[in-house]
Amino acid sequence: MTETTVRLRLNQQQLELIDNSIKAGESGSREELIRRALREFSAAHLPSAADRKKP
Amino acid sequence: MTKSLERKTVHELTIEPGTGKALDLRRGQVLRIEQTSGRQCADFNCFNLHDYKEFFHTGRTRHLHGLHPGKGDFLWSAPPRERPMMAIIEDTVGTNDVLYPRCSGFLFEHHYGLAVHTNCHDIQAEAQREFGLTPDDVHDSFNFFMHTGIDTEGRPFIAKNTAKRGDYVELLALMDVLAIPNVCGADVMMTSDFELKPLKLTIFEGTDQDWSRVSEPPRLKNQRSPSQFKVKNIKADRELYRDASYRPEFTNVPIQISELEVKVTGEELEWIEQLKASGKYGESDAEVLRYVFFTWWIGKFMHGPKHAAPA
Repeated sequence: MTETTVRLRLNQQQLELIDNSIKAGESGSREELIRRALREFSAAHLPSAADRKKP
Repeated sequence: MTKSLERKTVHELTIEPGTGKALDLRRGQVLRIEQTSGRQCADFNCFNLHDYKEFFHTGRTRHLHGLHPGKGDFLWSAPPRERPMMAIIEDTVGTNDVLYPRCSGFLFEHHYGLAVHTNCHDIQAEAQREFGLTPDDVHDSFNFFMHTGIDTEGRPFIAKNTAKRGDYVELLALMDVLAIPNVCGADVMMTSDFELKPLKLTIFEGTDQDWSRVSEPPRLKNQRSPSQFKVKNIKADRELYRDASYRPEFTNVPIQISELEVKVTGEELEWIEQLKASGKYGESDAEVLRYVFFTWWIGKFMHGPKHAAPA
């Protein structure tokens, strides 16, 4: 599977918020949390992503 | 502490057109502001009775409760205190405003050519003078019974006042406060339907039933008090001059940017590209992904109003 790296510019406060979410059990890593956000946001805003969820 | 369900009246008075009254209320007392004839706006200021530098803030109240706070909402103090000072426990009209500033002498002179005219700023200042406050201490008002809105062009407007005789709002003091209602002095504006009418004020001892109408407000370490200030004393002279010993201590400075690498699949990259193509989320893949993450996080986890733009 082809993967592409996206480099997000974040400051220490933004990373703190991400790390707090991980500590709260929302995800296992920073990358995983951001990919979860992308999946859920796309499912809500893109018809193609929403279709993917249908059986 | 158990309080009876029966309210005890502490004080009753009527404020006449062109006037206001500074009332010291203790925590747990209730102030009712009541229409005597109807269609009368009441401007309102509020200070911590033991520290006048803590006062009601329209901005934070507007942020948390919108342009028309009503029953169940709080009157918040200004940053960095940011505590609920009073709770609106009853509102029989529902047309309050925290959008418009108080009317002033300048306004009537500028708009109407009336150099000497009743106005909320000067009425407030005169009422507050009883407790040693100055015209500079009058702050942006909470405007009870003021019927306002925003038109399709984004401009604020004043609509016809709908309050009727006997309508009222009730405010429960959550701390000891100086509460100053005044009869709005604007008789040549729509605010009070072009007629100034008296308002009846009643102070009650609050009951358990009154307290049961108040939701639990947040208590956070950022609700600061003067004991946490670097400068603890109130500046007592008017001139501003530099403190030679000053060294800046801003929070979390320097702000340091770092790059977080996120590996996405081809399908995920396609979603990012589609979102980017919409033109709404950012110009690069990284900008889009950052926008997506934070708006998702706000929607899912943030406390309080989201302030999201309409889709």
